[in-house]
Formats: sequence, C-alpha cells, structure tokens
Amino acid sequence: MSDVAPAVVLDGVRKTYQLGGQPVHALRDVSLRLPRGSYTAVMGPSGSGKSTLMNLVGCLDTPTDGRVVVDGTEVGGLSEEARTEIRGSKIGFVFQTFNLMPRLTAAENVALPMLFQGVPGRQRDQRAADLLDRVGLGDRTDHQPNELSGGQRQRVAVARALANDPALLLADEPTGNLDSETGRAIMELFADLHEAGNTVLVVTHERHIAEHADRIVHLLDGGVEREERIAEPRRPTAAGGQSAGGSGGSSERSVGSGGGDGS
Amino acid sequence: MNPFESFRMSVRAIRGHRLRSVLTTLGVAIGVAAVITFVTLGASLQADVIGEVSGGQSPSMTVSAAPDQNQPGPAGDGQAVFTEHDVDQLREVEDVDAVVPSGSVPVSGLAAGGRTLGYNQLTATTPPYFEYVSRADFQSGGPFEQGAREVVVNEPAARLFPGNVSVGDTVTVVRQDGSRVNATVAGILAASEGPFGNTPLPQVFVPTDPFYDNSLSAPSSDSPQRVYPSLTVVATSFETIEAVQSDVRGYLDDESDARTLKPESYELRVQTVEDLVDQIRDLLDTFTAFVTGVAVISLVVGSIGIANIMLVSVTERTREIGIMKAVGAQNTDVLQLFLVEAVVLGVLGSLAGIVLGVLGAFAATEYVGLPMTFPVEWGGIAVAVGILVGVAAGLYPAWSAAKTDPIDALRYE
Repeated sequence: MSDVAPAVVLDGVRKTYQLGGQPVHALRDVSLRLPRGSYTAVMGPSGSGKSTLMNLVGCLDTPTDGRVVVDGTEVGGLSEEARTEIRGSKIGFVFQTFNLMPRLTAAENVALPMLFQGVPGRQRDQRAADLLDRVGLGDRTDHQPNELSGGQRQRVAVARALANDPALLLADEPTGNLDSETGRAIMELFADLHEAGNTVLVVTHERHIAEHADRIVHLLDGGVEREERIAEPRRPTAAGGQSAGGSGGSSERSVGSGGGDGS
Repeated sequence: MNPFESFRMSVRAIRGHRLRSVLTTLGVAIGVAAVITFVTLGASLQADVIGEVSGGQSPSMTVSAAPDQNQPGPAGDGQAVFTEHDVDQLREVEDVDAVVPSGSVPVSGLAAGGRTLGYNQLTATTPPYFEYVSRADFQSGGPFEQGAREVVVNEPAARLFPGNVSVGDTVTVVRQDGSRVNATVAGILAASEGPFGNTPLPQVFVPTDPFYDNSLSAPSSDSPQRVYPSLTVVATSFETIEAVQSDVRGYLDDESDARTLKPESYELRVQTVEDLVDQIRDLLDTFTAFVTGVAVISLVVGSIGIANIMLVSVTERTREIGIMKAVGAQNTDVLQLFLVEAVVLGVLGSLAGIVLGVLGAFAATEYVGLPMTFPVEWGGIAVAVGILVGVAAGLYPAWSAAKTDPIDALRYE
C-alpha cells in the first residue's frame, strides 16, 4: 500500500495556543503517516496533545506550523469553508459522548452529513438504511436517540461517520461512555470496518482499547514518544458473539451516565 | 443546503419545544391581530362614513365665502355675498343642471296648534333644494312653491308641536320685529340619519320669496337684490362635475358680484362632494394611522420575543451546532437553519394573527355597529410582516450560531 497516497500525513506539525498571553505548546514537531486501510491508535495521558491532534486531523483546526495533508489536500492554508467541506466529505467523526442530534431519528442522524453534501433525499434515505443495517440497527431507524441504549447510540454515530464514505474514520474515546461489554462490541465493529478497508484512527487512553489497532502512537507532552507495532491486534471475538451484528442485543445495557449525548 | 431541508429541520426544532414556540408565536400573533383589527375597524368606519356622505348624492358642489383659512370640514354659513344675478349667471354655465341658493331667515318663534315656540332660524331656499340637496324623502306632501306662503318641515320639527303638524296645517312665523306671518305646511320631510349616525335637528324650510329679505345693491344692477351665503350648483352628471367646478370657479373669480362683495380676507370656495369625502378620508386615515401605530408597538414587542427565544435556542443548541459543523455543515447552512426557524415562527404568528385579527375586527365592528370592510391587502401585508419580523429577529441569533467555533461547541456542556 506504499504506492497509494496515505489517508493522512502530518509533517513537522506544531500547535501553539495563547493562554492568557502565555504560549502553550500543545504539539511540538509531530510527524505521522496513516496509510490507507491502516488501523492506528493514539495513546497518551491527559495534556499530551491527543485532542489537539484529533482537531488537526479532523480539520477542525489548523496547525501553527508544519503540514497536515488529508486525502491529498493540505489543510493548513484552507479557508474555514473549504475545511468544513473536507470534514464533511473525507472525515467521519465518532465521539465519546456520541453527539447525536437529539430530535432527529437514527436514520436522520445518519443522513445528516449527506444532507450537508447535497445528496438527494431518496439516495440519503437509502444509504442511511443500509448503513444502519450494517451496524446492526436495521430495526431502529425511526427511533430517536433517547429511545436507544448507549451502545446503540454509538452504532448510530459510527453509521453517521461512514455516511459520506470518508477517507478516515476518526474516533475519540469511542468506548469512554460505555460499559466494558458494550465497548467490546463497538471495538468489534471498528475491527470489522477496518477489515472492510476503512482507515481508522482511535484516540484513547486505555491500553486494551488501543491494542485493537495494528499500531499504537504514544504521545507525551506534545510530542511522539514512541510508535509501537502490535503484532497480533486484539480481536474481541473470543469474549462476545460472532460478529458486530447483535442489534440491541441483551449484552448492551443503556448507559445513563454523563448526560453528554447532546440532549 | 436546500431551503426545504432547512424548513423541515426548523419545523422539527419548533415542534420539539411546543409550549415555547406557541408562546413566542403568540407574541407576534397578538401584534399582527391588533394591527389587523384596528386597520379593519378604521377601514370599516371610513367605508361607512363615506358611504353615508356620498351615498345618494347628486353631482353637486357647494359655493360659499369663508375666511381664508385652510380649515377642513364642511363649509359653514359664510358671508352672504352671492347675488340673484350670480345665481342666474351660474345657471347659464355649461352642464349646470340647477343652482340652488340657500340662506337663513332669523325669526323669533313659530306657532302652531295653539302653541308658540321659541325658534330662531328658518332655512330659505328654492324648491329644487328638495330634489338635489336634501337627502330626505317627503313623508307626506311635497315641496313648497316659490312665492307662496308655504313651509316644509322635517319630521323632528313637526313633532315639536302638540299633536304634530301635518300637511295643510297653518304655522305662524313670528318674525324678529314681532310681525306674524301665516304659512301653510306644504310637505313633511322624513327624518334621515346624518353621516355620523346622529338624528337630525328640527328644520323648517321656507321659499326665498317671500321670506328671505337679505338684499344689497350689487355691481351688476343698481336695484337691491337678494344675496345668499351659500349656493349649491348641481352638474348634469359626475362626469362633468370637474369641468363645471372649474367653470364656476372661473366665473366667481372673474365676473361675479360675490368677488366684489366679499371682504378681502375671505375666499370664495367651490367644494364638491368629492372634496368633502377627501377631507373626511384624510381625517379618518390619520385616526387609523394613530391607532395602528399603537398596535404596531405590540408587534415590535412580539418580534423582540422571537429574537429572545432564538438567542436562547442558539445557546441551548450550541452542542448541536458543533455536531452539525463537525459533520460538514457550512456557516451558511447553520445561518439558514436558524433564520428559517425564526421566519417560520414569524409567519406562523402572523397567520394566527390574521385569524385572530379578523375575528377581533368582526367582534369590534359588530360591537360598534358598522358593516365590516376587510382590507384584503392587509392579509398579504401581515404575512410579509411575519417574514420581516422573523428575519429581523432571527438575523443576529442565526449569525451568532453560524459563527460558533465547532471545537468549543463540541466541548460545550
């Protein structure tokens, strides 16, 4: 896969914030390549620059210095509008707190990124139904987020992230608000998606989550501390059911924690 | 993003906060309703008054001499400056059907049926008055004849006397010098309502000959002739009224006796029914504008309500804005979404306001006793106002929503 352009390239990236007049170096000289079809985890303690890295890769922010190239396009010099366009078409976000639109149904949430890309209604509905089917929620399309369990909500979020067939699936602590069993099912879903050829970047501070990737990038104090190859990535098939299917299965309990699902 | 999609999302958001949306909408609805009610009331009043004033009118104009002021309202009795000669000349003007002089005869009292009543003035005129000027029908009898000792009274006047005078009875006119003149009642006019719904005052009409003796020697002849304070010139039709008006004007300004008899500070007025109607319309327009202005205040309050709720809504949905931006919503999409929501609220409010306003106007006109005249264009204006209010009230909140930084918004709890 070396002959194909990588999904994401970070080259000498620096990000400095001004906090009360004092410069804060969130990232110092980070270089990173995410080849297409790769599965990478970024690990590090709080304040190591994980969030900043995510915002940069996700085109929510621009680097102070260095280059961020997403699917062949350099993000640094782009207008806000152009970055939004890239975000919509090339990045699929999965958040810790799911971040679903509370008044939209599962299908409408999945269709939302396509709406902003101007995909016609019929096509949107069809693809949303297909994607929900793929994450095992084919029978929950008309439910609103508050009628779904935490695991189901995260599945909707994953389906939404896949809506515009992005170059990169970007997950920020995707299991942070889920109990361990549900979290395992979600990681299984990511493994399946990786298997199907998607490029995945998971940001986490939990080792056992990171071990699902085939490479772990350790961040410390705004720099890459080390890169670690995982010879045999963890695959959760041993613990749970066969596949990521289990639509609303008994293994997924509703998590009422955190109130962070945007309602 | 397709505006129709924005509309769908907005409706979703509005329905998500039912009570809040209803209350917000109510603010605009009350404003629009108040405006529509008052405008309709004004229009109904105007239509009614103007209908009364111009209804059944002959194509006539009133000629008078009054102080040179631009004062509105019907011309009252001015100075008696129009001579018989003027009357004759005006009759010769093209397309003039009739010229009816009128003036007042001061008297001391009237006696009939064995009672003498204090009464201070009679109206002297000629028989065509009853055909062209008076809008009342004869209840009984008919007009007096010129040169005869006859009177015409209206119904309220007939009832002043015990047992009501009737046609053929004798009424004694007590002149100011104490002399008494007997006259026969030739006709009784039915009481008609005035333009403002008031009941008419008692009126007694007498022929200028022999009762009216205001006379002067005028430039046109050496012998004294009768002079009148006001003339009614009747044109042959409403089509010719303007031409007649300017001809009359021309005669009065260039040749009439009146121009020499009137004081310098007086002007000769030729006022058509149209002019009077215009004056009344102006007056009522001012009244309507004032009342509508008051109602507009409530509309402004309503739109502030929308702005307020939209601001709350933007703050409340900061996180949703962040999500939408993360998944590819452009600033213009977010702006459009919130603006459409505000406009939908405004339009819903104004639609409800039209319904409320029409009901209110119906109730008000019913209460005042006017036939309702709904100014249809105000339905369109109300919807336009709803859109405008929505845009004006939604612009800032929508703009601030669009400006939200997605990173902060996603972190927002």
